[in-house]
Amino acid sequence: MIMLFGSQRDYDAITGKGRDAWPVEEVAAMHAFMEKWNRELVESGEFVDAQGLTAPVHARRISLRDGAPVVTDGPYAETQEVLAGYTIVECDSFDRATEIAARLADTPHPAGATTQGEWHVDIRPIAETTAGFDL
Amino acid sequence: MTGTAVPEDLLRGLAPQVLGAVVRRYGHFDLAGDAVQEALLAAARQWPDQGVPGDPRAWLITVAARRLTDLLRAEQARRRREDAVAQWAVRRTAPPADRVPADADDTLILLFLCCHPALSPASQIALTLRAVGGLSTAEIARAFLVPEATMTRRITRAKQRIKDSRIPFAPPAAADRPARLAAVLHVLYLIFNEGYAVTSGPSLTRADLSAEAIRLTRLVHRLLPGDPEVTGLLALMLLTDARRPARTGPHGELIPMNEQDRSKWNAAYIAEGVDLLSEALPKGEPGPYQIQAAIAALHDEAPTPEATDWPQIRALYEVLMRSSDNPVVALNHAVAVAMTDGPRTALDLVDALRPRLAEDHRLYAVRAHLLEMAGDIDGARAAYQEAARRTHSLPQQRYLNARAARLASPG
Repeated sequence: MIMLFGSQRDYDAITGKGRDAWPVEEVAAMHAFMEKWNRELVESGEFVDAQGLTAPVHARRISLRDGAPVVTDGPYAETQEVLAGYTIVECDSFDRATEIAARLADTPHPAGATTQGEWHVDIRPIAETTAGFDL
Repeated sequence: MTGTAVPEDLLRGLAPQVLGAVVRRYGHFDLAGDAVQEALLAAARQWPDQGVPGDPRAWLITVAARRLTDLLRAEQARRRREDAVAQWAVRRTAPPADRVPADADDTLILLFLCCHPALSPASQIALTLRAVGGLSTAEIARAFLVPEATMTRRITRAKQRIKDSRIPFAPPAAADRPARLAAVLHVLYLIFNEGYAVTSGPSLTRADLSAEAIRLTRLVHRLLPGDPEVTGLLALMLLTDARRPARTGPHGELIPMNEQDRSKWNAAYIAEGVDLLSEALPKGEPGPYQIQAAIAALHDEAPTPEATDWPQIRALYEVLMRSSDNPVVALNHAVAVAMTDGPRTALDLVDALRPRLAEDHRLYAVRAHLLEMAGDIDGARAAYQEAARRTHSLPQQRYLNARAARLASPG
């Protein structure tokens, strides 16, 4: 599973909010890049599933307070990076998944775009709970 | 490969007729679907070399029937191994030779079966696209952005459900017919909207869904040419889809109707939609699809936004509101009122809808437009921002934020 991260500020920039708003052609270039990345995975047969998440401002957190569940709206600070989407690939090796994810480093973005800290994506193998029980 | 490719349209068009005929003769809706798919594959493989047979439909039915027999034998053998009684053998023999098989009716019955109220809307859609549309499971899964395994499960469950409920492959009773036809039209409408509502990103495959909905609705219109709501739905789809080329800018950004380049609208679709509508409207009390088509036609026929016949649109929304208590219809009505009576009157109507649409970004987007029309720039900006916060769609957020930003820096 390749996990992509973003902050509320990134979402705001992409949706044209505030001073850091990306120009529309930059957003289109980014979408086109992501689509191409995705399409290549579908064509190589390595694609399993991909979903994007809505902005952190739409998130809710459910926590326990004194034993009772409490629901909080949008608990993330606007600069905090949270999961923005994921892509699941099925490929030959962990190294191949790493290679696929590393291509994202070329994702286009406006020259002046503010990025919060270092850019990163995470890759984690999905636990195969049934492995070993087939035979 | 020496021959020419088999036109996909030919196979797509034959698929529901062949499936309908095979199910009518032999039953087994679930296995018949697989048998027909294999017959279509065989056709795609063999026809380019051997030529298209004289009666392609009969060829496909024969091959599918043979394949169904194999599948039934395998199933039978499996069941025997499980010690089950094989009492489900071929349900009916071929129809009497003196009866002309009604292919058109078969397709219609197939549609009624796929849109049966015992199934969830998601299953109705999936089954209709698979059985009547002849789309592969992978194609349907891609269009609805779900993994193929999910779509396979959905279709399998729907087929199982039809099998378990023993719904016969027969036209619905006369009393059920209007409700069943309404379910079919609703499913086609949902398929169209699924393809039309998306504006960017991985949406390219979903535009195909609108095209597929139009193709299937044309099919229903051919089968039931006298039904004014079927005609109305086809007109509505054509008149709406006509605006697609102008709805988004070069970078996928949303363009509101009054800023669209009307020369990009699909004139052929508009002409066809208007013709269909003029044919349907005189046939008695118009249903909701005809009224919505009439509204779409008024927009499409206006040479400029200013020349739009807003009093007529407003009156049509009032007719729609009488037949259904839908707050979104009321919201659209308010927009028409703004154009006839001014934004302040419309704002009162919108505010009255607040309790019913409190969570809906559309209410705030309409308020924002009305406040902007009324010259309340600060109020409009705040409403655009509020609408942007409430929608989950990134292209819509982008559009609403851009409106807010434009009001922040005039000029």
